[in-house]
Amino acid sequence: MTAPGGGALATRGGATVRRMKWSLELSLGNSRSRGDRQSKDGDVMYPVGYSDKPVPDTSVQEADRNLVEKRCWDVALGPLKQIPMNLFIMYMSGNTISIFPIMMVCMMAWRPIQALMSMSATFKLLESSSQQWLQGLVYLIGNLLGSALAVYKCQSMGLLPTHSSDWLAFIEPPQRLEIMGGGMVM
Amino acid sequence: MAWLVVRLAISVSLFYTASAVFEDQVGKFDWRQQFIGKVRFALFDTHSQASKKLLVATDKNVFASLNSRTGDLFWRHVDKTGPEGHIDALLMYGQDAVVVAGNGRLLRSWETTVGGLKWETVLDTGSFQAAALVGVQDFVKYVAVLKKSAISLHDLSSGSQIWVENLPDSDTVQYQTIYSGGNGLVFVFGVVPNSHIVIVEYKIEDGEIMNKKSVEAAWMSSLESSCTVISSGILLCVDQITQSLYTLLLQSAEQTEMRQIHLQTLDLEVASGFQPVLTSTQPNPAQPPLSEFFLQLSPDHHILLQLKDGLIVPLRDFNPSYLAAFATSGERTVAAVMSPKNDTACSINLFSADTGRRHLDTTIIYHMDPNGGKPNRLYVHAFLKKDDSVGYRVMVQTEDLTLTFLQQPGRVVWMREEALADVVTMEMIDLPFTGTQAELEGEFGKKAAIQDGLLPMVLKRLSSQFILLQAWLAHLWKLFYDARKPRSSVKNEVNIDTLSRDEFNLQKMMVMVTASGKLFGIDSKSGTILWKQYLENIEPNSVFKLIVQRTTAHFPHPPQCTLLIKNKDTGLGNLYVFNPIFGKKSQISVPALPRPVLQTLLLPVIDQDYAKVLLLIDDQYKVTTFPSTKNILQQLQDTASSIFFYLVDSSQGKLSGFRLRKDLSTELIWEVVIPTEVQKIVAVKGKRANEHVHSQGRVMGDRSVLYKYLNPNLLAVITESTDTHHERSFVGIFLIDGVTGRIVHEAVQRKAKGPVHFVHSENWVVYVYWNSKFRRNEFSVLELFEGAELYNSTVFSSLDRPHPPQVLQQSYIFPAPISTLEATLTEKGITSRHLLVGLPSGNILSLPKMFLDPRRPEVVSEQSREENLIPYAPEMPIRDEWFINYNQTVSRVRGIHTAPSGLESTCLVVAYGLDIYQTRVFPSKQFDVLKDDYDYVLISSVLFGLFFATMISKRLAEVKLLNRAWR
Repeated sequence: MTAPGGGALATRGGATVRRMKWSLELSLGNSRSRGDRQSKDGDVMYPVGYSDKPVPDTSVQEADRNLVEKRCWDVALGPLKQIPMNLFIMYMSGNTISIFPIMMVCMMAWRPIQALMSMSATFKLLESSSQQWLQGLVYLIGNLLGSALAVYKCQSMGLLPTHSSDWLAFIEPPQRLEIMGGGMVM
Repeated sequence: MAWLVVRLAISVSLFYTASAVFEDQVGKFDWRQQFIGKVRFALFDTHSQASKKLLVATDKNVFASLNSRTGDLFWRHVDKTGPEGHIDALLMYGQDAVVVAGNGRLLRSWETTVGGLKWETVLDTGSFQAAALVGVQDFVKYVAVLKKSAISLHDLSSGSQIWVENLPDSDTVQYQTIYSGGNGLVFVFGVVPNSHIVIVEYKIEDGEIMNKKSVEAAWMSSLESSCTVISSGILLCVDQITQSLYTLLLQSAEQTEMRQIHLQTLDLEVASGFQPVLTSTQPNPAQPPLSEFFLQLSPDHHILLQLKDGLIVPLRDFNPSYLAAFATSGERTVAAVMSPKNDTACSINLFSADTGRRHLDTTIIYHMDPNGGKPNRLYVHAFLKKDDSVGYRVMVQTEDLTLTFLQQPGRVVWMREEALADVVTMEMIDLPFTGTQAELEGEFGKKAAIQDGLLPMVLKRLSSQFILLQAWLAHLWKLFYDARKPRSSVKNEVNIDTLSRDEFNLQKMMVMVTASGKLFGIDSKSGTILWKQYLENIEPNSVFKLIVQRTTAHFPHPPQCTLLIKNKDTGLGNLYVFNPIFGKKSQISVPALPRPVLQTLLLPVIDQDYAKVLLLIDDQYKVTTFPSTKNILQQLQDTASSIFFYLVDSSQGKLSGFRLRKDLSTELIWEVVIPTEVQKIVAVKGKRANEHVHSQGRVMGDRSVLYKYLNPNLLAVITESTDTHHERSFVGIFLIDGVTGRIVHEAVQRKAKGPVHFVHSENWVVYVYWNSKFRRNEFSVLELFEGAELYNSTVFSSLDRPHPPQVLQQSYIFPAPISTLEATLTEKGITSRHLLVGLPSGNILSLPKMFLDPRRPEVVSEQSREENLIPYAPEMPIRDEWFINYNQTVSRVRGIHTAPSGLESTCLVVAYGLDIYQTRVFPSKQFDVLKDDYDYVLISSVLFGLFFATMISKRLAEVKLLNRAWR
């Protein structure tokens, strides 16, 4: 709302600047210059915050509100819409462990996590919507589903330490309780 | 198709395991030393003056030629072990060496320059008595071989038999020696103990008996060494009881009894209890012997005598003298006599044989090794110098089987340690840190340091830093100094003072115990003998057990090894405690062992001096501890209930287990009897104490885990059937828990025979036997698994094991006989294991354990492929590149010792037998080391290049930004 006024001020200032870089006025006739400037706009001094341009009617129309709602739903449903695409990529990349599938999986896992981390920013975006909480929830679920998909992909690629064999290297050899020795009679 | 897949799989797996050395790696980290054994016969090649050959025949059935200038082998022939290859006699004439081998079974003639066989003749059966070269008219043409009941004459150039004659009355007369003086006759001497001597005369041409006579000699029991022939056919004998010499003219018909000459008339006396020895010399077999001879009256008293006109005249008395020998060069015969000089040295002098006069300036000083044995054989090589005087070199063999070759005036030309041909047991000990490292260790290691207070600690720190600086400067100076010298003269000489551990602990001290009782400390990198110690009074059939009580890891305390020597006859043992790095005997008081020791047990319990405790169990099942301080006894009382012994008595077929009581007696807790009528226990092996198993299980194709049954108390007992018929013989294997006596598994291999070689490690046992049905060698592998779940993953107790393990077994055909078997060993047990197979051919095969895996599938499945299992194939391949010792074969390999190094990928291997071979193996390749040909220059230049490029471009970018800002 303050932007148009500021803009006006800037243009005014700019106009002044454009006329001359600087000027020195030795006469005390300050009013003349002011009068000169003011005479252009009128003789009255404007109060602070006065804009001589007409202020547009900012009251939100019913149609715009619908538009905002729609936009917000778009944001909220974004992660969910990506899932079929991800599924397709998942299917295409296969379960072999090589550089491209790994990159895919990393992307798939990283995006939802990133989205979840910037959740507050998204919420701000949805602030204007009346169904803010519902949209937030849908957005969250979408991202969670996305990361679940990534986890599933990792699982099917065998990257998750879910088997006992993945922990085998960490098993310490058991401590022996008895000491035993001997052999053939010498 | 399936076969193709199998072959493909095998070739792929081989691609990963092939591990041969490259040509430029030869000799880089491996070395071999060849030995011959205890010399029984040694002859110098006097055929030509420049000859460097020394022919030796040894008790190891080795016939070899040594370079007398360097002591290296020209060639060596290793015959069969045991009596079959036993060398009975060695004779040399000209370029030919004639050898009688295998108790008179074979007569061979060798060409001495290259060691080629000229001819070989199989002799008639009969036990060998003597052999002699026979000459006719100044020319040696024949060789005569005397057996118990026959004499045969062979042509020297072709080996063909000229004639063979049965000896008369050979059932009553013991024919023992043979003599020919070049006059067309061969004399055979026999004796009827305490009755008479029989002399038979044969004609050389046709073997006709020319004369046979018997001479009364009631005092005579054996001809050997107490009788000899001197001076154109006079038999000379000596008797200790009557203190007399006896002479007999061989070719006189009238003399029917021996002429007695009392030693008293010569003012001589034989030491009581000593069998006097006569030594004569026959320089040319076609000529009669000389009339001079040595008479040995006591172990250190020789006398040179001469027979002149039927009278015996003493030429020179050598008292004291240890050894005496004759040698001939050209026409001149000399006698060399070794006499003691002082406590540590002997002097050898040369005397003219016919007069007994000493040759001037011929003394050789022989310094006796204070850690060695006494000299017991002297071999003399005489030669004519340019001024026509006689020069000589001597080879001295000592009790500890050291051969020393000396020349005037006492310079040791070379030395050979032939005791190493019979290594019994060995250990590899880490080398200590350098003095500076040790200094730092000591600063923080000493317990006293804690009580020192602050200021002394600071001073100590400063002083040690100063020492470090000093050492560094010295090192720099040495580098600088060496750099100026030509490269060839800079030699990395290893000696005991500069010995220190290298970066990766690849260089170790090999402590070797030999059958003769000599201990050696050998540097594993170069094979240099750093110390040796001869233990006197070791019975030939003693049993040795070498125990490392303290390693080098406990700095101010020196490392400590204990050798248990047990006399087989008396059963009594004694302990020899020494420092394995310097070979010095330790001053620690050793417990007396009044009763026969049955077994030992090294406990992981350490005393306050960081020495592991050794328990010795005697025949009353009482335990002696060493060291036995109060602290130890206290610790033992606390842990006594968890200390167990097992003893295996093969003669009774009994395995018994004992538990230690608090008062150091033992109680019998289990007993397993394997009836000796059916089978007998041949070997028992537990696991190696220093073995680490990194992985507790195996990953299956479905990514589950099959846990290994890692019972540290498990024993593998191998039995062989007493019935050796090929249809009924069998080999049995029992896996027995040594604490509880529970038989975990037993398996019987039918129609199988020993000798069984086996390795017991981790959760597997690999054994090799002879399949008498299919007549081939077979490998069998047993693996034990706990299953998909661990019963108790934190502690292992044999007393709490409710579930028996799963046992898997598979067998394979091995296309070669084997001599010994061992497994590689690494620091942490991460590296895959290989089996080291010593073959009789002298090669050492490194066989990946992967091939001996009972889970190898017959039908390939997805899962087995996932597990990298090679499909089962009954034949075990042998690949030439698996031979870790390429062409450096180890004769008669008897044992392989493996030791971990500081690098996980590297295992140190020592194979010993007649030879010793040391190398390193990398079962999973050198995954933790940069390769030798790693391009340091390229990598570092690229790195530096990139670094400078970054710096320059950064600067340029800054300049550009600044310029843009000004614009």
